[in-house]
Amino acid sequence: MAIVLSALGAQSSVAAPLCEKSQIRLVNSMREIAQPYHANLDKGGRLFARWAGLEQRYVLQLNQGDSDKQVSLMRGLLSTNPKCTIFNVEPNSDPVIKPMVDTANRSGAWIVTHWAHGEGLHPFDGNPQWVAHVAVNSLDAGVAISKILVDAMGGKGGIVALQGRLDTDPARKRFAGLQQVLKDHPGIQLLDQQSANWDRTAAFPVMQTWLAKYGSQIKAVWAANDDMALGALEALRAAGLAGKIPVVGVDGIPEAIDAIVKGEMNATVSSDAYYQGSIGLAMGVCVLTGQVPLPKAWPNERREFYLKLQVITKDNAGQFRGDPQASAYVPEWDCANLWSRNTGKAF
Amino acid sequence: MEPQYRQGILRFANWQLWGPGLALIVLCLGFSLAEPRFASVENFQVIADRSAIPLILAVGMTFVVLQGAIDLSTEGVMAACSLTVAMLILNSRSGLDLGWLGVVLALLPGLAIGFLNGLLVTRLRVPSFIATLGAWSVALGLAMLVSGGQPPLIQDQSLRAFGLGRTWAVSNLALVACLVLAFGYVLQNYTRFGRYSLAIGGGEDQARLSGLPVDRYKVAAFAVSGLLAGLAGVLGSARIGLGHVDIGLGQMLATITAVVIGGTSLSGGRGGVLQSALGTLILAVLANGMIFIGVTPDLQKAVEGAIILSASLIATWRLRSRLRIVR
Repeated sequence: MAIVLSALGAQSSVAAPLCEKSQIRLVNSMREIAQPYHANLDKGGRLFARWAGLEQRYVLQLNQGDSDKQVSLMRGLLSTNPKCTIFNVEPNSDPVIKPMVDTANRSGAWIVTHWAHGEGLHPFDGNPQWVAHVAVNSLDAGVAISKILVDAMGGKGGIVALQGRLDTDPARKRFAGLQQVLKDHPGIQLLDQQSANWDRTAAFPVMQTWLAKYGSQIKAVWAANDDMALGALEALRAAGLAGKIPVVGVDGIPEAIDAIVKGEMNATVSSDAYYQGSIGLAMGVCVLTGQVPLPKAWPNERREFYLKLQVITKDNAGQFRGDPQASAYVPEWDCANLWSRNTGKAF
Repeated sequence: MEPQYRQGILRFANWQLWGPGLALIVLCLGFSLAEPRFASVENFQVIADRSAIPLILAVGMTFVVLQGAIDLSTEGVMAACSLTVAMLILNSRSGLDLGWLGVVLALLPGLAIGFLNGLLVTRLRVPSFIATLGAWSVALGLAMLVSGGQPPLIQDQSLRAFGLGRTWAVSNLALVACLVLAFGYVLQNYTRFGRYSLAIGGGEDQARLSGLPVDRYKVAAFAVSGLLAGLAGVLGSARIGLGHVDIGLGQMLATITAVVIGGTSLSGGRGGVLQSALGTLILAVLANGMIFIGVTPDLQKAVEGAIILSASLIATWRLRSRLRIVR
């Protein structure tokens, strides 16, 4: 099926290749690679580069949390061969996307961005080089884990919620997802919610304090990311409660998946870092080799869309353990299937 | 040089201890009145546990600050030692299993970075602010390199049990912190190092002129600070179960805050480890109490700031003396 589609795609291609394949340069731009999520973005990018035969043309740019550096690294690289360069960007912060897109428009480089961007900015509003924005629907993520949590509790009892940094978009939306689910389940009482800054070590004492305050009233723990969920889990372990109280998080980091297999966590949601680290590069290669039309001819919902999220529970956790093979992603890198995880227009 | 206080904690006239002590008591009373569950045995255990790592850091920082310097490398050192311990004992990555020897070896990077800080400050005359800021980045960078996207998980069950466990109803980490505090107290009051640290902070030039080997004691202070930050990183890892580059996130500023609201002056020459311990407890009680009385998370930072300001006013009121220049 995929082969047929790709043949059709090739036939309907509108232009001759924009670049010699050997000239194409693949860039992953991200924060750092010390944490599993970012390391997996990089691994995904490398898997794709190897599969596409462009391993020698893969560049990794790390900004160490410095937005200015993310932009200047991009500008530095584009002093040569801009028109055959594809940037796949995990933005260090929302506002960094605008200068990066401007840089691409000016230089003729191609850019695909992830997560969230500033309001009123869209790839289809006069940004010919901004191939697509692959957004993550944090509200959906919050709803998905909350539903599993509520089911695990049998629909009644007290919960505590660990929030991320309150000034960030995912933190607000994931929590909004919890509130939305709680509205339908009056038997569940939100005992308390605190911010633990996305941080594992910060979540530990907060959970301990809750255990001292609420004791056995706490029937479940909701966390806006896996790191905090795992910090809370250790506090539960110290109190002899690990595995006895449902815990959910978001991100799908390897330890959380292990904890789900062990029965100490109930669910997490993953945006699939391997996919995010590779799909932008795949889109760019398809454009540059002329296998898909230029992005400005794409419909809007193909240039700015929500990514399908993977809900990981005990039932399917086994298949998410360890590094995946390229073969798992090859069908989705195919130029005819670039939007297989598109769940519709974002924002 | 005017002696700050002579032997003993029981000098009742010693406002330096009573100021922060009073602030702590007022906080505890306030929280208990607002929410009776605050004053439960279980919650005091939680507060003790939460104070353990900050207290260890504060004891180390105190000596550096007493000498009029600053150590900003805390978070980097914690990360480096966290990754080291997780790689040396039974873990998911390296195949090593050195047991408790690994725990001891993991303190060495902390000691080494502290020592290096001291040499940078004394031999190369780099201001401590810059030297330790650089060391922070270097140590954190090395830790990230080791972590490499696959943080090593600690699988040594005896270390995990120690990190999460309790002995006689008190968490093991809190007991270690008490030992460190006792060590710091002895160091400060019964050794030359402690007395000369005060002298150096009170007036480095005079100390030099009177023939004290100032440089040696400065190096020692940074080494102690590095060693204890390393210990904090190792214990933190034992508790959460992995080598984590963010193990010290936010700890450096919190430690300096604790030291200062305890009454140790940033310009050096005043204060001590007991004051820093009180400062640490004030911060721990504050963070714990705000959750207990239900201050909304959005407001907590603001409330924390306001209370820290008032606590430090109470704690250091007497120091606002006639001729003292505030910097």
